[in-house]
Amino acid sequence: MKLINESSKTKIVNNLMVAILAVYGISQKRFDLNETTLFHQLVTEVISPVQEGLASSKKSLTFLWENYLLIVNTSKENNVLKKQISRLESDLTTMEEVRKENLRLKRLLSYSDEMSHQRVMAQVVGWDSANEFKVIRLNKGRNHGIKVMAPVITDHGLVGYVYRVTDNYSDVLTILDQNNRVDVMIERTRTHGIVEGVFNFKCALKYIMRNEPVEVGDKLITAGVGGIYPKGIKVGMITDVTKENFGMTLSIEVIPSVDFDKLEEVLVLIPTEVASASAVSPALAPIEEKKL
Amino acid sequence: MRMKFSQILISFIITLALLIGLEIVTSTILPALGWKEYRLTFNVLIILFLAIRMDSPLVPWLILGLQMIHSIFSIEGWALGTLAGLIVMMSANYLKEVLHLTTAFMTMLTVQLFQVIWYVTVTLVICLKISDFDKFGLILWSFIPGSILLSLISPVLFWMLGLIWRVPSEGGSRGVEI
Repeated sequence: MKLINESSKTKIVNNLMVAILAVYGISQKRFDLNETTLFHQLVTEVISPVQEGLASSKKSLTFLWENYLLIVNTSKENNVLKKQISRLESDLTTMEEVRKENLRLKRLLSYSDEMSHQRVMAQVVGWDSANEFKVIRLNKGRNHGIKVMAPVITDHGLVGYVYRVTDNYSDVLTILDQNNRVDVMIERTRTHGIVEGVFNFKCALKYIMRNEPVEVGDKLITAGVGGIYPKGIKVGMITDVTKENFGMTLSIEVIPSVDFDKLEEVLVLIPTEVASASAVSPALAPIEEKKL
Repeated sequence: MRMKFSQILISFIITLALLIGLEIVTSTILPALGWKEYRLTFNVLIILFLAIRMDSPLVPWLILGLQMIHSIFSIEGWALGTLAGLIVMMSANYLKEVLHLTTAFMTMLTVQLFQVIWYVTVTLVICLKISDFDKFGLILWSFIPGSILLSLISPVLFWMLGLIWRVPSEGGSRGVEI
């Protein structure tokens, strides 16, 4: 009989120990809510400022990509002229970006005026690095009054809810994620259903019975059931309705109201009692007086 | 070749720094440039390197350490990838006689094969957790475009990691014993 040597024994023991840890970790894992550990809190606070810095230099990165890297092989003379034009374009782009940002923020503020929540405006600084999860990272956290499960919106509609939060950053589980289920109703017929994220930046509307008069173009709003999202926030629009030969429900495809490709700023809604109980940072102070 | 513990530590710290840099590229720079649909999961590639090219009892703990850093950038957490990494490592151990990463093409092919094992494991566990096996194909399919890109990048990254971990570029699959 072949004896197992010392090295193989160590390997087996190590493999087993890590495997047991991993299985335990998986059993404890929740994809819809997460408690922030000390390790996560510390490392996120150290690394995320780099993400924030890079996200805010998006304009420069885009400009570099579009206006320098793609024309690197042109002649020197052209380069001189193009540099001059680029400098002017850069100024114009910056001004145009500032104008657009102003417009977006104004729309965002006026949209949220209709809601009975306090709000914290935040910028998107990163996306989840795994394919199967659609999560965004915001540059505001506990210090700004943000709590887990707080709904996140834009002027176009629902983005998702806060999944985990550190002192200065928070992760939002978007409605594109398969783990986020939103109780919605069809605005026209008031029929209730559940919106779930599917592949390719689209969602599916589930549990709508075959005999419901659902049409392409119908708009979906939050139903206000479930305790996370306030009622009446725009969620998306039905783009395809399929009646299968089997089953009791319809197969419905939904395009979210929010264009996640162009998502830059969002509003985090905080129920009034939660917001007033938490320490309010200077960042929150200017908008705190104005109830949404 | 046997590595000293201090060398392992230095190589591991450099690998962690590389992972953090690559995770920032995936989670911030590429989305800022408009690339949001598919993610390049560099943690998978780095763990595949350790699983395929290293022969050591410490590899499971190195995988765990890398996954802990990955969990900062993804709600996937550390556990799922650690389990997948262990399964890939054990598969690589069984296949070590036939694994010869001597050419870029072989590296790409091997990496693609082990990525499939990785993603099938991850998808199975996710489906178990969310109790919905209807989504198995959909989730698995979402990994494919990114995994092909990763396989194309793998010879370069494996070469870099080979320098960090002092693994000879030729001569079979198992480079360094620690």
